[in-house]
Amino acid sequence: MKAILNILQIWYNELTTVMRDKGIVIFILFVPLAYPLLYSYVYTNEVVREVPAAVVDEANSALSRKFVRNMDASPDVSIRARCHSMAEAEELIRHQDVYGIVRIPSTFDRDLWKGEQTRVGLYCDMCSMLYYKALMLTATNVSLEMNKDIKVERLHATTGRQEEITRMPIDYDYVSLYNPQSGFAAFLIPPVLMLIIQQTLLLGIGMSAGDTRERWHGSFVPFHRAYKNPIHIVAGKTLFYFFLYLPLGVYMFTFVTRSFVLPQLGGYATFLAFLAPYLLACIALAMVLSAMVYRREDCIMIFVFLSVPLLFLSGISWPGSAMPTVWRCVSWLFPSTFGMNGYVRIQGMGASLADVAMEWRALWIQAGVYGVLACMLYRRQIAGLINSSKP
Amino acid sequence: MRDKFSRLIAIFRRELRLFAHRPLFLFTMIVAPVLCIVFFTTLMADGLPTKLPAGLVDEDDTHVTRIVSRILGSMEETDLVTRYPSFSEARRAMQRGEIYGFFHIPQGLTEDAIANRQPRLSFYTNETYFVPGTLLMKDLRYASELSGLALTRETLYGKGLTEQQAMGILQPIVIETHPLNNPYLDYSVYLNNIILPGILILLIMLSTTYTIGLEWKRGTQRELYALSGCSSTVALVGKLLPQTVLFSLMFVFYDVYFYRFLMFPCNSGIAPMMVLGVVTVLASQAFGVFLFGAFIGQMRLSMCLCSLWGILSFSLAGFTYPVPAMSSLLQHLSWLFPLRHYYLIYVNQALDGYSLLYVWMPVVALLAFLLLPCTVLWRYRAAFLKYKYKQ
Repeated sequence: MKAILNILQIWYNELTTVMRDKGIVIFILFVPLAYPLLYSYVYTNEVVREVPAAVVDEANSALSRKFVRNMDASPDVSIRARCHSMAEAEELIRHQDVYGIVRIPSTFDRDLWKGEQTRVGLYCDMCSMLYYKALMLTATNVSLEMNKDIKVERLHATTGRQEEITRMPIDYDYVSLYNPQSGFAAFLIPPVLMLIIQQTLLLGIGMSAGDTRERWHGSFVPFHRAYKNPIHIVAGKTLFYFFLYLPLGVYMFTFVTRSFVLPQLGGYATFLAFLAPYLLACIALAMVLSAMVYRREDCIMIFVFLSVPLLFLSGISWPGSAMPTVWRCVSWLFPSTFGMNGYVRIQGMGASLADVAMEWRALWIQAGVYGVLACMLYRRQIAGLINSSKP
Repeated sequence: MRDKFSRLIAIFRRELRLFAHRPLFLFTMIVAPVLCIVFFTTLMADGLPTKLPAGLVDEDDTHVTRIVSRILGSMEETDLVTRYPSFSEARRAMQRGEIYGFFHIPQGLTEDAIANRQPRLSFYTNETYFVPGTLLMKDLRYASELSGLALTRETLYGKGLTEQQAMGILQPIVIETHPLNNPYLDYSVYLNNIILPGILILLIMLSTTYTIGLEWKRGTQRELYALSGCSSTVALVGKLLPQTVLFSLMFVFYDVYFYRFLMFPCNSGIAPMMVLGVVTVLASQAFGVFLFGAFIGQMRLSMCLCSLWGILSFSLAGFTYPVPAMSSLLQHLSWLFPLRHYYLIYVNQALDGYSLLYVWMPVVALLAFLLLPCTVLWRYRAAFLKYKYKQ
């Protein structure tokens, strides 16, 4: 009974500390609520369309004009200028008016009539990979389509069906699973949602620990009779942050996902079963790390910049298979790695809890290990307090 | 003048003494940037991710399909790790995150192809993992095209055509891509050149607001003001100068490491990039000073804003998802982020080596950041004399 009262007292103290401090409220309420919306808004157009390009058409024949027309007609590329020389087109790249040049050689038609291969040059400014991707894919698609027509002409098909088979002896389908439009938001936002949860918990719990240190002369455990048992402290704090973040997690899972039409294949039960260990692991890690925070503002300096490396450590933006082993081991220290991967699979790919069993177990292990570690740190601090208060 | 100079030196010395007592400064100014540089450059040491795990579902299993699987196996970016007996098993492996894509050859493909019945094969990539998904898509698509062409080629050889003649029919138009100045599509060059300055800018803005705010927090702001001879300018310049020097050295170190040691493309010569680095340091500091001045006395609020700004700048710099593809409001907003200007100038200078005249607007914008503190200096004067740190 006393234990429950203690835990409730700690829960209440945490609540009042947090609500009094504008800085903490910004990080644990404003950021998780507003940042997902802001981020989704930035990437809401999903794909890059109509990348401006210039053409240097040295052949200037019916066939070369058809090539240019087909490129311009594609959704991803827009031909903005027809230049007489490469130098003129290059000047446009320098001004960043266009991001690519298509150069059709003067021998374009002659090569084709001779039955030889002709080479169309595509020069891309490499300032953004998405521009390169759009230009390269479009040029390849247009050339493939025209190649098929030329092939049919050369091989003299007789019926319509035969023509079609000559064009494409083996047809193929391409399906981009789980992100049909190959969009940027559908790829980046789901993992970022999970990262926001961890980072804001680190900041919030760190700031509240810094606050305690400032008020209790350098001790991150208050000198209070409720704070005698480290297990009670861990339980009380966990209780507060867990039930604060549970609705925030649901908000991201439902509201953010729905309003920006992100992939949504996950089941509610699976998500909640996964969110629970993730929140516990994040809270426990935050409590362990908060022992390093001496001033309230310190944790902003320590934790904020970590978000960028953590995103790359997760293996979502940079493939895990291409990651050096050392960094893969480091990534296992953070709940975000498993949280992001698990969430993306549940929400984006409709995975069941069995499919993310590895991540799920890892999060429980992390929650356990960091929880015990936090208890030990609090215990040491309490022992220190008792020693220092003795005459 | 002489008097001012000696006061500046006195504040400079006082600041260095402060640094010596706080390991946090050591962490944010030296450990964190170096750690990030080491992390990102080793993470992407390979440049372009290769050997991405993919699967194969071969329901036909004839000598023709085995040729296809050999083609796939020889591709640079694809690593056929597993063969799955059925489609659903491959899909489940994708859900578990074991493979990024798979190739599906249906039963009877060879027979249909020989009988001219135009069979259909398919490939699937997981686009929730954007980079590996896109890279695999390129390879798998190429293999699909090739398998159809291989069939026609056999027929053409059978009719007695030479290889050159056959290729003139199969692939009359060839696209030659020239990714300018980053011919190997090195992701390390593409991402690290912006991510690392982005992290530095974030750390600079945070340390600026933190060091200034610390004066109020420790209640020593009047001491500083007296030391400066009642001049906010002298006080701020003296206070921030040690950081300017340290962070500029960090930028220089990173320029040398990138452009001399890792041999990233640097067509402008290393000196302009160093100058750009120093200006960026000053611009970020000026922005920090401005934010602190605008929310005077509220150290945590200004630090929160700096971190939100710093993290958001990775999106609004437009190096991953281009700014012109965002909504027009965000396009205007992107002018307020120093990283955006850094990115535009970097592309013009180091990547492409063009004249600075082409990016005069970002240059002017970056320099305009340096003037921002002038707008809030009068508030600092009041703050030094009146305001106290708010709990």
